[in-house]
Amino acid sequence: MSKFSIEADIRSKLAVVLGFSTIAVFIQHIYVLSFILIISIAAALLFGANILKAIKTTRNLWYLFFIIVILQSIFSRSGQALLAINGFPLITAGGVLKGGEFLMRVSVIVFSATIISTSNSREVVQGLVQLKIPYDIAFMVSVAIRFLPLLRSEIKDTFTAIQLRGLDLKKIPLKRRIRVYLYIFNPVVAGAIRKARGLSIAMEMRAFRAYRKRTSFLKLRLSAADYFIMVFTLIFTSAVFVMFYYFNFPAGII
Amino acid sequence: MHPIKISDLRFKYEEAQKNILDGINLELAAGKITAILGLSGCGKTTLCYCMCGIIPHIYHGHLDGEILLFGNPLHKMELSRIARSIGIIFQDPDTQLFSPTVEDEIAFGPENLCLDREEIAQRIEICLKLVNMEKHRFEHPENLSGGEKQLIAIASVLAMDPDLLIFDESLAQIDADGKERVKNVMLQLKTLGKSVVLVEHDPDNLAIADDIFFLKSGKLEAINITNKREFDELYKI
Ligand SMILES: Nc1ncnc2c1ncn2[C@@H]1O[C@H](COP(=O)(O)OP(=O)(O)O)[C@@H](O)[C@H]1O
Ligand SMILES: [Mg+2]
Repeated sequence: MSKFSIEADIRSKLAVVLGFSTIAVFIQHIYVLSFILIISIAAALLFGANILKAIKTTRNLWYLFFIIVILQSIFSRSGQALLAINGFPLITAGGVLKGGEFLMRVSVIVFSATIISTSNSREVVQGLVQLKIPYDIAFMVSVAIRFLPLLRSEIKDTFTAIQLRGLDLKKIPLKRRIRVYLYIFNPVVAGAIRKARGLSIAMEMRAFRAYRKRTSFLKLRLSAADYFIMVFTLIFTSAVFVMFYYFNFPAGII
Repeated sequence: MHPIKISDLRFKYEEAQKNILDGINLELAAGKITAILGLSGCGKTTLCYCMCGIIPHIYHGHLDGEILLFGNPLHKMELSRIARSIGIIFQDPDTQLFSPTVEDEIAFGPENLCLDREEIAQRIEICLKLVNMEKHRFEHPENLSGGEKQLIAIASVLAMDPDLLIFDESLAQIDADGKERVKNVMLQLKTLGKSVVLVEHDPDNLAIADDIFFLKSGKLEAINITNKREFDELYKI
């Protein structure tokens, strides 16, 4: 993607994500959400996040979001009917607005979270540690994040093994395909757990948790740019809230 | 003093019918490379686990007999203390590396030992140099070849500065070039005065060993093989 990107400390990235997500969660207004969505995409690009890749890897999540959006627009009926059956309003303007808001809110959270992914797991752990979060908890976060790729590689290996035996999963009927999925579920999970246990043994044999404390070779330092980012995020977030709640801007549209 | 002295070691996994280790006696020679051979499933990994405290600290079962680590009874030591004297490298490089850069990976052990930054920096440099991987310092271990990953696993264990290193079929999953590089590192470790245990089932990798033992029916037997025919003979029965 773009060559230019801001080198920032994980802690200022966390501040940005926290600020944007807070706005997205608390202010349920389509204009504000659109504005924050654009800003968060711009910020993610500035920090050098790969948004396309993020959308691809969370593809299944987006299907789920779309289903929720459709359900939400069907169930929350208000305003003008856009689609009616026998005079019964099925899809309404208010419902579509609600669905759109939901979609924007999760988009803001997902896109701003991609900013975190521009730091590696060691930096994330160290960032949390330097924010005075106990190392054990910080490390657990990174182990949990690591377990997902383990599971994914295990699934990939299993599918490759199946396909090497001449079974093309794309070509068999759905009912049989589901049977295959159920069949491999246990070995895949068992394999991932076995690998995870191997990792934890390797860690223990390198004296993990030998003492209550540990030192750290990596030391994160905030630069002038980091202070600027954090102060800017704080002012920006507060400004949006003050405008919305105190000056009532932008006003409601329905 | 023997890095490890095992007397009449017996072990049975909890669900198992009979002892997988059934009267092991071993006096490991200091500063030498000791190879342990045996058929697949005969208990080589189990023996390695006993030697470095993974049994009984992590895996449980019925354990009998005594293991002395540099004269101290192993079962009384905590794993983190054992880890200062013994380093173990496993077969699968992917279950040993968990850090986003080679440097972080090597720093992990020394950080746990609470060494200060200067000392850790020194150890990272020395260990990377020893395995000849200096130019990969800032790379993601995931992007390395199998042999290179194994070299990083070795460097990360060496950073703990152990006196004894156990390689549990660590050569099995890597290519010919990687095998040569790892074997060279083993020989270097020997010149540094470290003791090495090499669990193997490939005769080609035995040339660097000083002593060879064969594990069969839960017992260890010192053997002396000089050619491939004798080796094949060993596995016949
Ligand atoms: N955690 C365990 N629980 C029960 N049985 C085990 C466990 N690990 C290994 N075994 C059994 O013990 C035997 C020896 O295994 P292992 O020591 O891995 O042999 P080797 O390394 O020589 O191939 C095998 O039959 C194996 O099934
Ligand atoms: Mg084994």
